[in-house]
Order: sequence, then C-alpha cells, then structure tokens
Amino acid sequence: MAELKLKLKAPPQTPVEGEVLTPDNLAGRSLNEILNLETWRGNRRVKLSELFTVEGESASKPSDLHIIIEGDLRKVRHLGARMSAGKITVNGSVGTFVGFEMTGGTIVVNGDADAFVGMGMSGGVIEVNGNAGDAVGSGYWGTRCGMKGGLILVKGNVGTALGCWMKGGTIRVGGNADVFTGVRMQGGTIFVAGNVGAKLGAAMVDGKIVVLGNVPNILPSFHIDEIRPNTKVDGDKIEGPFYVFHGDITEGGNGKLFISVEKNPHLKHREAYIF
Amino acid sequence: MEYLLKNGYVVDPVNKIDCERMDIAVKDGKIVESVDESKAKVIDVKNMLVMPGGVDLHSHIAGSKVNVGRLFRPEDHYKDYEVKSGVRRSGVGHSVPSTFTTGYRYAILGYTTVFEPATPPLKTLHTHDELNDIPIIDKACFPLFGNNWFVMEYIRDGKLEECAAYIAWLMRSIKGYAIKVVDPGGVEAWKWGITSQDFDQEIPRFGITPREIVRGLVKVNKMLGLPHPVHVHTNQLGIPGNYKTTLKTMDAVKDLATGDRSILHVTHVQFNAYGGVDYLSFSSHADDIADYVNKNPHVTIDIGQVIFGDTTTMTADGPFEYKLFNLLRGKWANADVEVETGAGVVPITYSRSNYVHAVMWCIGLELALLIKDPWRVFITTDHPNGGPFTEYPRVFSWLMSKKARERVLKRIPRLARVRTNLKDIDREYTFYELAISTRAATAKILGLSNKGHLGVGADADIAVYNINPKEVNPSADYKIVMQAFSRAYLTMKDGEIIVKDGEVVAAPVGRTYWVNAKAPKDVEDVVIPEVKKRFEEYYTVKFENYHIPESYLACSAPIQPLEPLG
Amino acid sequence: MKVVSAVVCPCCGNLCDDNEVYVEDNKIVKVRTECAVSSSKFLNYSKERNIKPLVRVESQLKPTTLEDAIERVARMLVEAEYPLLYGWSNTSCEAQKKGIELAEEVGGVIDNTTTVCHGPSILGVQDLGDPSCTLGEVKARADLIVYWGCNPSSAHPRHMKRYSALTKGRFRAPEQRKVVVVDVRKTPTARNATLFIQVKPNQDYELMAALKMLLQNEEIEEQEVAGVPVEQIDELAELMRSCEFGILFFGLGLTMSEGRDRNIDAAITLVRELNKWTKFAIMPMRGHYNVTGANQVLAWQTGYPYAVDFSRGYPRYEPGDTSAVDVLSRGYNDATLVVASDPVANLPKDAVKHLCSKPLAVIDPHMSITAYMADVVIPSAFVGIEAEGTAHRMDGVPLILKKVVEPPEGVLPDVQILDLILKRVRELKRGR
Repeated sequence: MAELKLKLKAPPQTPVEGEVLTPDNLAGRSLNEILNLETWRGNRRVKLSELFTVEGESASKPSDLHIIIEGDLRKVRHLGARMSAGKITVNGSVGTFVGFEMTGGTIVVNGDADAFVGMGMSGGVIEVNGNAGDAVGSGYWGTRCGMKGGLILVKGNVGTALGCWMKGGTIRVGGNADVFTGVRMQGGTIFVAGNVGAKLGAAMVDGKIVVLGNVPNILPSFHIDEIRPNTKVDGDKIEGPFYVFHGDITEGGNGKLFISVEKNPHLKHREAYIF
Repeated sequence: MEYLLKNGYVVDPVNKIDCERMDIAVKDGKIVESVDESKAKVIDVKNMLVMPGGVDLHSHIAGSKVNVGRLFRPEDHYKDYEVKSGVRRSGVGHSVPSTFTTGYRYAILGYTTVFEPATPPLKTLHTHDELNDIPIIDKACFPLFGNNWFVMEYIRDGKLEECAAYIAWLMRSIKGYAIKVVDPGGVEAWKWGITSQDFDQEIPRFGITPREIVRGLVKVNKMLGLPHPVHVHTNQLGIPGNYKTTLKTMDAVKDLATGDRSILHVTHVQFNAYGGVDYLSFSSHADDIADYVNKNPHVTIDIGQVIFGDTTTMTADGPFEYKLFNLLRGKWANADVEVETGAGVVPITYSRSNYVHAVMWCIGLELALLIKDPWRVFITTDHPNGGPFTEYPRVFSWLMSKKARERVLKRIPRLARVRTNLKDIDREYTFYELAISTRAATAKILGLSNKGHLGVGADADIAVYNINPKEVNPSADYKIVMQAFSRAYLTMKDGEIIVKDGEVVAAPVGRTYWVNAKAPKDVEDVVIPEVKKRFEEYYTVKFENYHIPESYLACSAPIQPLEPLG
Repeated sequence: MKVVSAVVCPCCGNLCDDNEVYVEDNKIVKVRTECAVSSSKFLNYSKERNIKPLVRVESQLKPTTLEDAIERVARMLVEAEYPLLYGWSNTSCEAQKKGIELAEEVGGVIDNTTTVCHGPSILGVQDLGDPSCTLGEVKARADLIVYWGCNPSSAHPRHMKRYSALTKGRFRAPEQRKVVVVDVRKTPTARNATLFIQVKPNQDYELMAALKMLLQNEEIEEQEVAGVPVEQIDELAELMRSCEFGILFFGLGLTMSEGRDRNIDAAITLVRELNKWTKFAIMPMRGHYNVTGANQVLAWQTGYPYAVDFSRGYPRYEPGDTSAVDVLSRGYNDATLVVASDPVANLPKDAVKHLCSKPLAVIDPHMSITAYMADVVIPSAFVGIEAEGTAHRMDGVPLILKKVVEPPEGVLPDVQILDLILKRVRELKRGR
C-alpha cells in the first residue's frame, strides 16, 4: 500500500474537522494538492499544510492508500467519516466520531478514542488499542438505528451505552464496559472480556451480548433460559459456562445475554427459574 | 420600483388568459396597466411561463406541533441543510424544515402565500412567532374549533349567536383567519383514551354529535361572514371505509348552502377516501367522492397527495396519530391542549411496494383527475403528512402526464394497480388548470381578492418558470415540467424580486393576515364576560393573557369580514 | 400606586400568570401571590444586582461605558475561532432569537441550560417521542399524578395547587385524585402522597422495567427490584393501569442519575405502554422559566433544540460533543459569552476551569459567580419585571411577560444588548 505520513504540527486549541482525511478524499492527489486541501479549525477554513506536515505519496485508488497520522488528535473530530476503503492509522489518541458512517476500510487508533466511535457505521473495521468513550457503535440522534455492519475492536475500556440501537456487525471489548451496554440493541454481537455496568441489554429486541466478567445485575425484564457450556462469537468458540438470558421482554425482545457463571455468583438465585 | 416583464406566456385564469404572450407591468408592489418602459426595469421573460405566485391554503409550517416534529427528528435534518449566504439565514430542510428555510424554499417554488391550517388557540402566540420567522411569504393561521368546550356547549344548547360571538372574539384575540375543524368531537373523546368517533355518535360528556358541531360552525361562519368556508378534516381519517364519513360530512351541510357558493372545504381528502374494512381489503373510493363533489358545488376539497419517501405526519387528529403509532411502533408525540384540541406527530416512510401506500398514492391523483372543476379541487400534499412541499413539482408532473403516472404505476404492487381507477384515467392537466388549482382557485376560496391573479390592482406576486408552453408537451416532457417548477426563474413578491434563477436574493417580511371578526355588540357584551368567568374553571391561564397584541405580528394585515349572509 | 394584574412570574417552569404587582414611584411595593419564591423575586430582585458595565483591568473589575463593553464583547466573538454562547434560559424568546442570530454570525456554538438538566429528556424524546398534554388537561382530568425524581413542593411550589393534585378541574375534584411519589428519599412532596416509593439511587431504570413487566403480566425473577418489594411495584402498576387519566411528571432525579437519557427512554416507553390500558401522559418539570422557550426557538430557527454548532455556517447538532459541558470539558472553545445563566455555579469542575481560562463575557442582571470571573460584564434588565418578553411554560404554552417597572438608567434588556453586539460584530467583520 502507498503510505502518506501526516504529522500534526501542534494539538489544535479549537476542534479540527477530520472528515477530509480519508483515503477516498486523498487518493489520486499529489502531495501539493493534499497540502492545499482545506478543512475547518473551529470556524476558520485552514489548509492542511497549516495543521500537518505531509510526507510519502498517495495512491490512485483509495483501497491502496494507507494514511498514517502522528500526534495528539484528541480535538480532531469525524476522522475517517464515510470512508469506504483503504487504511488510516493514528499514532496517538483521536477525538469524537472516528469512523462516522464508514462503509469500508480500516482505521487503527494506537491510543484512546473519544465518544461515538463508529457512529452509523455499516462496514469496515475500527481498532482502538486504548480506551474508547461513550456510545461506541451507536447511530445519529433520532435514527433509532446504530451500527449496521462492520467490526469495532477496543482493547481497553469503553464508556456507557455500548452498541446503542446497534443493528448489525460486531463489537469486541478487551476491557470493561460501563452502564447500558447493548441498550436498544436490534441485532449484531457484542463481546466484553471484562466487566459491564448495570442495565445490560436494556430494551434490546435482538442480538447477542457475551460478558466474560462481572455484571452487577440483570434487569427484571430478562428471563433466564439455561446454562450453556460455551458459545460462539463470529465463529470463534468462547469457553463458558454461561448463564443465558433472553429479553428485553418489555419490548417483546429476543435478544440473548451470555453471562459468565464463574464471575457472577450473585446471580445464582436466578437458577431457580431455569426450567 | 417599476418593472416590466416582457414577452412571457401569461397564464391568469381569473382573467381568462391562457398562455397568451403578454407583458406584465409592476409598480409600487402592484400590477398596473402599464409603466414607462424607459424608466422601468425591463425583464425579458420570452418563451417562459408567467403565473401568479402560488397560493397554498393548507401546509403545516408553523406552530407547536410542527415544532415537536422538528425537535424530535434531528435525523430528518442533518443531511439536508442550508448554509448561511448573503441574505439567507442558515437552516435545515426535508420534511420539517426550519422556519427560514421554509420561506426560502417556498419562494424558490414560486409560491408567495402559504397558510398554516391548524393552530390551537392557547398556543397561537407560538404559531405567530414561527410565522414571523418565515420570510417572504404572506401567511395566516386557522384556529381549531371542532373540539372546543365553549363551542360544543353553545352548539349543544342551541346558542348559535353566542357561539358566533365567542368565535368572533377568539378570532380577533389570537389573530386567526378561518374556522378549522379537525376530527370534530373525536379529539375530546381521545382525551379519555377513546380512539374512534363516529359522525353521528354523541361525544362523551358533551351530549352532542360531530354532525351537529359541523352544522353549527357552518351556520356561525355564515353569520360572521368570514372570507373562507369552514375548513374540515373529517372524522375517521386514515381508517378503511372512512369514505362514507366523508360523504356524510359533505352532505350534512348541503341544505345550508345558498346558490353556488361553497360553504365547506374538506381537506386532504385522500386520507379520507378509503374503502374496505381493514388494511387488506383497503381500497379507493375516490370515484364516489369525486362524483359527489362534481354534483355538489357547496363543497371544495384539497387532495393531500402522498409522495413515496420519508416524511412526518402531524395533525390535530391526536387519536389518528395514536393509531398510526400502533401500526408503525416507532416514535410518537401527542399534545392534547386543554379545552380546545390536540395534536399528534408520527414519522412515516411511504413505500411504493406497500399495497396500502400505493393505493393512497393513486387516490390523491384520482381525486384531482376525476373532479371536473379545477376551481374546486386544490393540489396539496398536506405538507408534511403526504410529503414535503418541495415535492409539489412532482405532483404537477403526475397530473399533467399520464406517462409520468404510468412510470410509477409500473412499480407499485399489481393488486394496487388493479384495484384502483388511476390506470384508466387519461385526463392530463393543462397549465391553465394547474394555475387554477394552485393559485387562482385557492386565492379565491380564501377570499384573497388581490392574490392568485395578474389583473390590474393585484399584489405583484408573480412566478416565472423557465418552460415554454408552446413548445413543451407536458404529457411527454414531464421531467422538464418538474425541473421548471422546482426552481422558479423569477419570483416576485409585492413587486420586489425575491428569487432569481432559483436563488433567493431578497427576504422581506411577509404579511400575516387575520380576520377582524365581529358579532353584534349586545351579544358580545353578554358572552365575553361569561367566557371570562369560565376561564378560571377551564383554563390554567388568565383571560387577560389569552389575547395576542397586534404588535406581536411582524406585519399585521387585518381583513374585514364579508357581509354576513342570511 | 398602580396595580398590575395577571402578571406572569419569571421564576420557574410553572410560569404562573395570576400574580398582582403593586407599583409606586417605579418601585414594586407589594405582591399578591401564593408563592414565596415569586414574592421574593418581585420584591428582592434588585438586591445584589449590577447596574454598571464592567471590564477587568489588571485582575479587577472596573466600571466602563456600555459602548466600551459592547466593543470588547464584539471583538472577543469575532476574533474567536470557536466561541460558545451559553445560557438563555432566564431570558425572553426575543433575546434568544438575537442570540441565535449572533451565534450564526460569529460561527459559534449556542447552547442553553438544557444541557445540564433536561438534555436527556430531549434525547429520550428524539428516540421515542413525547406523549404529552398541557397542564390544563391534568387539571381537568387527572386522577393519578406521579412525581418521579422531582420535588415540586420545593422546586415548583404552586405546581400541585395550580395544576395537579390540589386543584379542582372540570371533571375531577382534589379528593378524586391520587398522588404517587417515586424518589430516593422522602421529600416534602412525598409526605403528602397517597403512595411513596423509595427507589435505590441510580436504579430508576430497573424499577421501570419491573413496572412494565408487571403491567404486561410477566413474571419477575426477583423478590425485590431497586430496593422496592415486587408487591409494592405491583401496587403502583395497578394504580397506573386502573386510573382514567394519569400523568407522569419527572425531574432531575431521572435525568441526572445513572443512565440519563436512557432513563427518560424508559419513562416515555412506560407511558406509551400505559396508553394501551388508559389515558396517560408524561411531562418534564422544567426548571428555569424559559428553558422551554429556548428549546422551542432554537428548534424552529435551526431544527435543533440545544447544542447547535454554527462553525461551518449551518446548524449542526451533536449533543455530547456540541453541548456546552462537552465543549468546555474538552476545551474546544476559545471564548465564551454567557447570557442569563451562572455556569460557574452549576457546571462540572473541569468545564468551569476551562471556562474561566478563556475570554469570558457575561450579560446578566445579577453579579453571579460567573460574572465575578468574567472579563466583561454587561448588566441587563430583568425580563418579566423591567422588560417585556415571551416565555414558554413547561408544557409549551406561550405567555407574554410584562414590564411593570422601568429598569435603572442605562440598563437595557438582553435583546437590545445583543442587538448592539450583533451590529458591532457585523461592522467588524465587514472591516476584516
């Protein structure tokens, strides 16, 4: 793949729009053209040359382009928005809405990501090697539809409302997730290796959530089905045993929660309700 | 400022001008006989169509329920936005556009007058505040009366004079234009959770039927000499089999008509022209409705055409919206208003592969094509209930071109095609008929004698479309029709150029019309103190605070009532 | 002495409009009102108020001319790359409109106090909708009134007497009404309730889930949910199912506890479900007297009710990123104009830290804590006392607030001050 190396000259004081920094937008352009592309810093139009140094070369097709960005991008928003192909690697932390409405390609963040990772995503891969913020894999406000496809991997922890309104695709979290994991879920799969917060799977109607760690409670709107020895996430076998709950019954839901038996002794009393 | 629009093909049905090459002279905001060509600004509109500015009598553009729609649908807006530029404020569009964008987009379509058809009196200060923020167009709003406690009690007790005095007082106080009725009695019933109201069934705890409400209000309208007939959204909207209620409603006031004057306007009839007993047997009875309208001049209608795509339904018909919510199970807002009325808002996507939606789409067009007199059937989408007003040009193309209709008919379910009459209708609207249905007739039915025509003395509200009626055959070239009507070549309002080649270049404040209604003083002197006393019991605001000062209208344009009849 | 009647009180979201104010020599000498908060406002508003424009000179606030203050604020806004215009809930709709025009002109972010109180309610509404009504409907019909996570006895003193439990309506007398209070502790409101349910902090969602299960006749696999025995939850379910007209009022107990907008999602969903059995509505207890107006005006002019970002020349809405607390916490903005609000007193610590580290201008009648931290302070007239203006009640009913006395010499209403700033901003931009 052709590599374009961008280095952030200094962390901006006001937010910078990262939408322009996708292989789709930078493919087929000379270095000079790229330096002269404009984006927003606050309410000012600024050239990329003012924000970044740029080295390397572009590719003619987005799928052949790898954009590598160095620096503290915590105030760079919507990086990789609507991306369809190619790769972006950020060596640093990144701001809100990384991968907004992306349809393909790969984004790797070697740092933390802020809130709304993969909002409206329908394809592609986002890999965050640090922590991520709230509402990973959610959807734009009012759409009642979160992530539709693709894969989000977070090595560390995530915030609240993971996979809010998610309809498809997979999210894997290596660390912990906060409250309302899988809220309003409509499909797809969530896997959390660590602990989750309260209200897991609230109002879910479909989809699957697997939790290897501790969950403080299971909502009264879930009923226990059985104990299973193991389960699968995207074809990978995950060793249990797991309590399996279905719900959210108040939504007529058929979502499934797979909860580690070992890490959740306080749920033992629910076993009495297994048929 | 003087203008001369030269060489255009003028369509002005009020003055019986049908695509004649004519010059239009404008001076001081009015159409005049002539201007001095050496002093006036001459605009050559050779080979273009010149019409009066559009007059839309029914479009939900302002007020509390419209704003509920905006507020709870950020997803409706975020991909359709307008950047601030020149005289234009920024905004958002699609089915519930923000106020500035609403005005600009109407002007770009060549519309210059748009009326908000339903406002709850208690919240009408809000309606006027939004109307003030809609630039360019002249506007007005219709207060809702069909579920009003005072009105229902007066009519129940046979006190029509008192009812008239109450309505006159209210119309003046809140600066309304016409009597609007939505689901008479049904919204009051819904406040107890009842979701269906029959036309001849008594409304709970009020001892009166919708029929009596409608009749009473038509009589009151006559007494007050209001410029527009009673504007009715009938009971049972959206329900299979409701065409019977529509016919009953229309027939209920037939005996009250005098001469050929229309005394009842029934709105968005498409939503009320259904046969069948459920959504499987759902069918079109547009032909029965059209038949009745053809034979009975006391009624006018507007169609409420459906457009396939995503939109937002919003209406004072709260119970209907609850039922729609139960079908769709998405978002639902409800806003009952004490003493007076209610509202509901539910987003919807009309899909051409959905049998019911497809039949609905056919019905609106059937009504427009089967009703023979274009002076009594008006083109609307009940924006945004059937679809956004920005889609009007698409509706025009369907009416003017059988080929355009067939293109859609090919893609709807076979059963919908087979069970409706639309495929067999050959009629195609002419530019003349289009102008009647969207300008001349609507202005007339609203009682706006200075609008909807290009005769001397008319307000210089003019729309010029880049389409040559002598060369373009709308039947074949319907795409050109759509394009031309989507972006006016020139829109003029009160003799000022507003739109040039589809771009808004000026954004003056439009007028807010309202009727300075009056009842005999001796009756008002008894009624108003009575009303004030009952205010404490009924409302949660003081009588003194109900009144809207005229200064709160950005450009107040009061109208005197007509001579009351009978 | 003159008496002004039907005066609308500019305090809380009740927007009571039946107050009588007695004025003598341009001073309010007496108020006939049933509310202590209202009385205090009308009689004491001018204590601790500021009537001089101030500018910070060598770390001290010193008096200056209005012209100088306007100039500084205009420059601050024009020079900023991402200014934040915050507050708006304690002023008129007319001033809010000017604020929006100003934010659009300077390409900034405009947000109101919704962001720290009922923002979650709006987010819930945007997902689920809003089955509601005006307060007069509650007065006329309600036989079950539920106060969840709010304490009207303290925060909205006349609410029950004027609109709900203690008032006589056309179809319902006070003795025919029942009151349920759900809260984490027994509030003053709870003491008079027919049924008080003490819910464990941050477990309102669980309680609502249990309630919905019981309404649907589903079994609950616990004896107790959120600290409430299932039998008691069933009692509430039965009350709700069997009433003729129920209303759920809710407040910060729901919006600001764990889950926030998802809590409101649950409350709205509960009310939607209840309409299967009976007539039920929901209403947020809005705090500031015109925060509802701020949402309404912003929504009709821009399409969005709060957290609107104009930096790209058109309105954008990304609450959680363009909302004031988030803008401040992330340190996005480089200048702030605060109008009719006191964020330093209300916002989280790191937001306040950033707020005070950047140029800050305040328009307010009071010397609020925020004003004490500002670089420029412009005094304004009290809407509803010294200036006329429109406001919206918590149920969306609009009312005109009256001017009963003249403001002090040189003190203008917000709308005029903002207009002066806007004019100067346009001049500066033309020059640029």
